[in-house]
Amino acid sequence: MIISPQNKVLIQGIFEPSGMTYAPLMRAYGTQVVAGVSIGWGDSNLKGIPTFNLVDEAIAAVGAIDTTIIFVPPYSVLDAALEAIVAGIRQIIIVTEGVPPLDMVRLLREAEATETMVVGPNSPGIIIPGEILLGTHPASFYTPGTVGIISRNGTLTYEVAMQLSAAGLGQSISVCIGSDAVIGSSFPQWLQILEEDDRTEAIVLVGEIGGDSEETAAHYIAEAIDKPVIAYIAGLNVPRGRRIGHAGAIIDSYILELGPDIGTADSKINAFRRAKIPVADRPSQVPELVKKKLRQPARKT
Amino acid sequence: MDLLEYQAKELFREVGIPVPPSQRIEHPKDIKGLTIAYPIALKSQVYIGGRGRMGGVRFVENTIDAIAAAQSIFNLPIMGEYPKVLLAEAKYNVEREFYFAVILNRAIRRPVLLGSIKGGIDIQQHAEQIQHVVVEQEFSPYYARRLAIKMGLEGSLIRSVSDIVEKMYRLFASRDLDLVEINPLGISQTGELIALDGKVSVNDDALKRQTDLADLIVDSGGDGHNPQQTRCPVFLEPDGQIGILCNGTGLTLATVDLICGAGGKPAVFLNLGSETQTDSSAESLKEQLTQGLEQLAQIKQVRVLLVNLVTGLLSYSELETVIAAFLNRRSREPRGVSEIRPDTLITHTIRIPQMVVRLMGCPESETDDNNGTKTDLLSGAAQVAVVTSLDEAVAQTVALAKNNNHA
Repeated sequence: MIISPQNKVLIQGIFEPSGMTYAPLMRAYGTQVVAGVSIGWGDSNLKGIPTFNLVDEAIAAVGAIDTTIIFVPPYSVLDAALEAIVAGIRQIIIVTEGVPPLDMVRLLREAEATETMVVGPNSPGIIIPGEILLGTHPASFYTPGTVGIISRNGTLTYEVAMQLSAAGLGQSISVCIGSDAVIGSSFPQWLQILEEDDRTEAIVLVGEIGGDSEETAAHYIAEAIDKPVIAYIAGLNVPRGRRIGHAGAIIDSYILELGPDIGTADSKINAFRRAKIPVADRPSQVPELVKKKLRQPARKT
Repeated sequence: MDLLEYQAKELFREVGIPVPPSQRIEHPKDIKGLTIAYPIALKSQVYIGGRGRMGGVRFVENTIDAIAAAQSIFNLPIMGEYPKVLLAEAKYNVEREFYFAVILNRAIRRPVLLGSIKGGIDIQQHAEQIQHVVVEQEFSPYYARRLAIKMGLEGSLIRSVSDIVEKMYRLFASRDLDLVEINPLGISQTGELIALDGKVSVNDDALKRQTDLADLIVDSGGDGHNPQQTRCPVFLEPDGQIGILCNGTGLTLATVDLICGAGGKPAVFLNLGSETQTDSSAESLKEQLTQGLEQLAQIKQVRVLLVNLVTGLLSYSELETVIAAFLNRRSREPRGVSEIRPDTLITHTIRIPQMVVRLMGCPESETDDNNGTKTDLLSGAAQVAVVTSLDEAVAQTVALAKNNNHA
């Protein structure tokens, strides 16, 4: 697993309301939060976490940093992430919601060139229950175990984790790839990471309407994933936005060789059904389907 | 958020994309003050595409016909939308019509340039003709030239067309657009290019740093400064009776699905927003919850209100305290005084919808007075059912709505 409890963690925007809320929670969970950065807060600290004006200053004082978690306001995210990349940090989790897409395009070009992993934006990050919290997942809904959760949302993911925990199914990891339009790491990347993770025995994918991440994930699972996967998709009963009817969107999906219905809940559910992946019709059905899958012998050896 | 055609063309003009001379018409009588020469096109300024086929564009030769045409276009709804403004524009005779667009492709996370030599109103029927070039790295004009070549253009058109595409890209990047589209780009017999119709969509998340574009949207009747629809009630079924209050988009969508799946009819939902906002904190969630309860309680259609909250910011007792305070305030609100008999209180009571409450919070803090045990502030309230399981909460909500219907 690319993340371990030994990861040294930086919080950028530690004096934002969200940074002040979650940095102490992460540390209380056992995460090694070694420093924070907030402009104007050099030589200070948040509940004992030393804070700096620059990422470079933080590294000079506390040593190498593996992961940064970004809480700065949306229009400062690109700058904060570029500062982290230049300082040599190769794992970036962006919690902040509402980063302009063209800022993300520029950031992701830099990230690809430097092999930096970007999770988010608009993401509660990653939790490995019992070991490390990198983001805002409420730890109390999780229990250590063997089910990996990958999702595109926050509170619905907690709901699914809670349902799994209540059914005695602990989790090996829960990662949210983010809910903004343009995001870093994708479902296929995380599916591959969990496929290779020894602790993970089954994968739950929690999706929602919009974009084509779930359709892409369904194809990838059919091609490359041997571990059992269960899906749940939210948004069946929400009317289509006007945006979906517009020429740009239709042509956009044409380029992808996809039909104009792409992005609807039906399109996503059908993609999973075609790939023979069970789709839960409600969160409480997820544990049942996981248990059923785990009783079956593995597809391949 | 989309701009109207005349606003898009203002932006085109600013970056040097040629557009026909034009004037805004806010009332048919404005036609008399036209300074552009006939023949002209009169174009309904609506957000929905396909207006040409529905009679939203008329060509006229003189003032009398223009006034009549303007009156009829002002009175012609395009898919239910009436124009507030028309655009009067010099009519151009063009030999060919091309299609161009710059869009952001979410899946590959790169801007894409699109072009077709079969532009115009039938673009969708010729979708297979559309060429594309992905802008992989920092933009440079060779991306635009590649598109021109892929489209099969030759001679001087390669440079003139790629100049326009470059300007479109610059506009797209500098103004944080989701889409900039020219359809058609007219080509005259002499090879002159002119953008006859255009579409610009501004990214909602960028509006706060594109304040002049946000102002344009306000001018045309939109709320350019508050584009995000979170924390605003979203209405669903006109005859629904159920209100849904949740935190987070995914959970809200899932809760609406569950209500519908159980045979309930949601009237409205309100998403308090996620915990990934920079200002997210325990205090901000308390405020949002208070406001959300007030907003939904004021909607008369809501007979049963399902509150489904999953959060790591507040504990059960903190969430419960906010809801109990809301109920207290509602029941103590001054009831007003009868106009006929000022000495008596009027008889109607403040309406509180029946509520089903499901609160999954963080663990009670050890410093809390109640020392981790659940309080029961809500159990005394007759109109509130407290439930732990989501499925059970949904079942009770739907059952209450059905009883209400039969009552």
